[in-house]
Amino acid sequence: MTAAVAPASLLRTAARTGRTRVGLVLVALVVLTALLGPLVAPHDPTDFVGVPFGRDSLFGADNLGRDVLSRFLHGGQLLLVLSIAATVVGVGVGTALGMVAGYRGGWRDELIMRIGDVVLAFPQVVLALLFVSIAGPKVWLLVTVVGLSHAPRVARIMRDATLMVVERDFVKAAEVTGTRRLRIMTGEILPNVTGPLMVELGLRLTYSIGLIAALSFLGLGLQPPTADWGLMINENRIALTVQPWAVVLPVVAIAVLTIGTNLVTDGLARASAGLGRGVER
Amino acid sequence: MSATSTRRDVLRWAVAGGAVLLTGCGTQAAPGAAGGPPRRGGRLRAGIVGGSAKDSLDVHAPVTHPDEARVLQLYDSLLCYDTDFRIQPALAEEVTPSADAKTWTIRLRQGVEFHNGKAVTAEDVAFSLRRIVDPAKPQAGAVGLAAIDPAGIEIVDPRTLRLNLRTPDAVLADQLAQYNNGIVPIGYDPKKPIGTGPFAFGSFEPGQQSTFTRNPKYWRENEPYLDEIVIIDFPDDTARVNALLGGQVDVIDQLPLGQIEVVRANPALKVLDSETGAWTPFTMRVDQPPFDDPRVREAFRLIVDREQMVKQVLGGHGVVGNDLYARFDPAYAKDLPQRKQDIGRAKELLKQAGKENLTVELVTSAVAAGLVEAAQVFANQAKAAGVTVNVRKVDSGEFYGDNYLKWTFAQDFWFTRSYLPQTAQGSVPGAPYNETHWSDPKFVDLIAQARSTVDEKQRAELIKQAQRMEYDSGGYIVWGFANQVDAHSVRVNGLVPDRSGVPLTSYGFRRAWMSA
Amino acid sequence: MVRLAVKRLVFGALILWAVSVVVFLATAALPGDTAQAILGREATPERLAALRLELHLDDPLVSQYFSWLGGLLTFDPGRSLVNGLPVAEFVGPRIVNSLVLMLTAAVVSTPLAMFLGTWSAVRRDRAADHVTAVVTLVLAALPEFVVGITLVIVFATGPLRLLPAVYVGTGQVTFVDLVLPALTLVLAVGPYIVRMMRATMIEVLESEYVQQARLKGLPERTVLLRHAVPNAVGPVAQVVALQLAWLAGGVVVVEFLFRYPGIGYALVDAVNNRDLPVVQALALLIAALYIVVNLLADLVSLVANPRVRTAIR
Repeated sequence: MTAAVAPASLLRTAARTGRTRVGLVLVALVVLTALLGPLVAPHDPTDFVGVPFGRDSLFGADNLGRDVLSRFLHGGQLLLVLSIAATVVGVGVGTALGMVAGYRGGWRDELIMRIGDVVLAFPQVVLALLFVSIAGPKVWLLVTVVGLSHAPRVARIMRDATLMVVERDFVKAAEVTGTRRLRIMTGEILPNVTGPLMVELGLRLTYSIGLIAALSFLGLGLQPPTADWGLMINENRIALTVQPWAVVLPVVAIAVLTIGTNLVTDGLARASAGLGRGVER
Repeated sequence: MSATSTRRDVLRWAVAGGAVLLTGCGTQAAPGAAGGPPRRGGRLRAGIVGGSAKDSLDVHAPVTHPDEARVLQLYDSLLCYDTDFRIQPALAEEVTPSADAKTWTIRLRQGVEFHNGKAVTAEDVAFSLRRIVDPAKPQAGAVGLAAIDPAGIEIVDPRTLRLNLRTPDAVLADQLAQYNNGIVPIGYDPKKPIGTGPFAFGSFEPGQQSTFTRNPKYWRENEPYLDEIVIIDFPDDTARVNALLGGQVDVIDQLPLGQIEVVRANPALKVLDSETGAWTPFTMRVDQPPFDDPRVREAFRLIVDREQMVKQVLGGHGVVGNDLYARFDPAYAKDLPQRKQDIGRAKELLKQAGKENLTVELVTSAVAAGLVEAAQVFANQAKAAGVTVNVRKVDSGEFYGDNYLKWTFAQDFWFTRSYLPQTAQGSVPGAPYNETHWSDPKFVDLIAQARSTVDEKQRAELIKQAQRMEYDSGGYIVWGFANQVDAHSVRVNGLVPDRSGVPLTSYGFRRAWMSA
Repeated sequence: MVRLAVKRLVFGALILWAVSVVVFLATAALPGDTAQAILGREATPERLAALRLELHLDDPLVSQYFSWLGGLLTFDPGRSLVNGLPVAEFVGPRIVNSLVLMLTAAVVSTPLAMFLGTWSAVRRDRAADHVTAVVTLVLAALPEFVVGITLVIVFATGPLRLLPAVYVGTGQVTFVDLVLPALTLVLAVGPYIVRMMRATMIEVLESEYVQQARLKGLPERTVLLRHAVPNAVGPVAQVVALQLAWLAGGVVVVEFLFRYPGIGYALVDAVNNRDLPVVQALALLIAALYIVVNLLADLVSLVANPRVRTAIR
């Protein structure tokens, strides 16, 4: 679990399994839809093409009579960008704190982990409900709330991973030669915890997508008239039986995306475990 | 004097008019016309939009829809509106203004009893009116009844009282017909609610449900037909519709647009579609840039494609508006030309005002059906005129928070009202809900004159002038009047279309009956 | 172990205090106050002033906090601002309802998921395993509200009218009211447990410990039940705990969807009403639940097998 592995080689190893490949294909499918969708969408996502919930066009119209297909094709970008941003924030902050806690130990460890416990004691939805209600639904707030709610979970994992590395000879050697602590953390420890780090990235990305979509669904996420998958589900779920596409398309896209990231994460976890084992034994 | 007699005639005639009209605020048609003679008995379960732990039974302080529904079962006002939005007698059999509109005389209906068996007397009416306008704890109707002087309420005899008003008010009758100005007995306690309504209090679980049992001594003939009413709170649209589809409730209010076709297609269910005078305006603050320039306000009114608004926001279940409210008022200015979208003219006006490429924030909240949707449609329409509208959706707590009635550009919703009572609520300085901060002295003067004018023709003339001013330069964009769309099981009879904008025939469960 | 439990309990109490401060500040910072929320559209300055006086909303924030905290320490969480009921009386039945819902979901999903995971691991790479893998993946990827809506259409409003679509009543919950919300939660938390159980079982089945048991010639059934499963329970307990803790938040969406009279439904309502005492009580309760569940999970993994390290979370 602790060998120095370049992320690229980890990915390559992971990509050898069928599962990971399927995952990558699924993710690519959704990402391409989100990126290229706006270019091929037949209408502007806020233009009106028919009566509300009408069924004249391919996938019909939404609650305001806007083209479902066009809104679907426009609706993935922000979700992806926000999920990735929240993941980077959460895993970044979590890794930094986890490494400090694991490497320095003592009161820093206690402080970081106990604050983490406080944050963990709030279910993520409740945390989001409170803070979004205070500041209003802002994009930066979404990223921060979702990211920071990941941080303590990531910190726990990274602390454990760090603890296993710090006892190793090369860290001790670096300490003896007087290398600065920051240097040790970035130069010696970080390259040796990329396995769990990659797994965390994948896992937290999956959760971020689900959480941001759920917040949009609760009306706490992205704001109308933005075309957004979570929001689309919220706006149109009342007519699920009349005009299912406006709900089904975004649900399928979110599901495919999370299945994809799940599979890739799975592959990464296996590869990381396998590589680690290979080096250690 | 001819005007006084007009109003008097209406009220007196209604009372003298015989058995059919004794149902007062009903329709002219017999209630059971659709499904045979009304059948007595049964239990009606009503799924009502909204409701929360803050639910109340207080006669004078309804806030949520379930509150309104409860108030309308438990209590009666002195007057009421029929389904055509005309005033009819209720607990009062006669309400008469003096020639100067400074004194009103109220004559009570004989033999009406509260749920506890006590007769309704002038003392109870005095108590109720004083409770509403109490300066230490003003109730919802206090603003409308501002002209009432608690010290000037005079009890003539047990069935008659005289109100000596602070200021003349020729349209006080409209206020006495509001459902939130109900009559309760002296010593009224909202925890043990007693009124004269068609149903008496059974049980109450805030945020969940409440039950009401038939009042056998109800003063309207034959009504009510049902033995029991259950009012169930449903904050979530999907849950409410599912309850109807699953047969867990018999009626629901506010059928969401997306479900109208589903209910129409279901042979066990019926849609109740009522044309109303309810309006959901955009509100522009006339004392703040950019809307302090009347040219900008006019431009914004010209930006709106009203037909498209009605089509996209209401799915066609409504009619276009002409930037005027009170469409059922006899003095409604029908002759003003219908305003239509004119992007060219709007751009020109904005250019004259030096406000090209304007960016504004439109604050919206899901506090009523269609608000958030209308905001989005407007934002889209504004693009053509080079105006960027950023929709900002806030939760209801924030919308009604510190900035309530102070937002520069926002929305509101109103039920059907007549013109002068509506201006007293929102269009003159000192009105509690004057969200546009409209305070043109000439307008104020016209309204004051109209309020003290008992002659209906003269009053209508003054009202038309006031409407012209609002049409030209007011702070509202009244793009349309939404239909009230409700739904019920085919087993429920007696509910009819109603202009008030209050759902389910103004929650008129007294006229409902269940077929076998 | 007792020392550990005591230490964790003390920490738990400290965490709860920190949570109470955060929640108090957060609710105080919500735009709009209780009086405005109660009156809503009808909030005229005169009526606001009268109501604020009645509710003591003009008291300084610090004194509001300490009077609340003082009440809590004497087991009196105060009264709801919006309907005047004592918080305990108002929240009590809802807590019971939510606990019933969560426990039902947990009691059904945990053994079922652990069984499925074990079965899948034993049948590794065979058709049954693949089917389980795909189904759990899809279920795990579907948002719970989608699962709930689908269940309603299938069992309540569609051709099969077997179960109530939403809860209708005065707060008492019966078995039929419980089925659809509980099933939604089971389908939401189950898949993760299945997948974790499968992964852990595969690891355990490959471990030397199990191999030795097999070499001893013990029947596979015994190996599985006596040796493999107990070793897998520890790490899986962590996942189960995480999922149960998730339930505390997950009920919010599900209760809203089914109009289920529990704490999630009450919390959304209380935040909307700015009903500080109720928000406080509910947030603390959810946090306490989380802490207790995690503590239990740690104890279970210690009891189940102290040798298995608890790295899998």
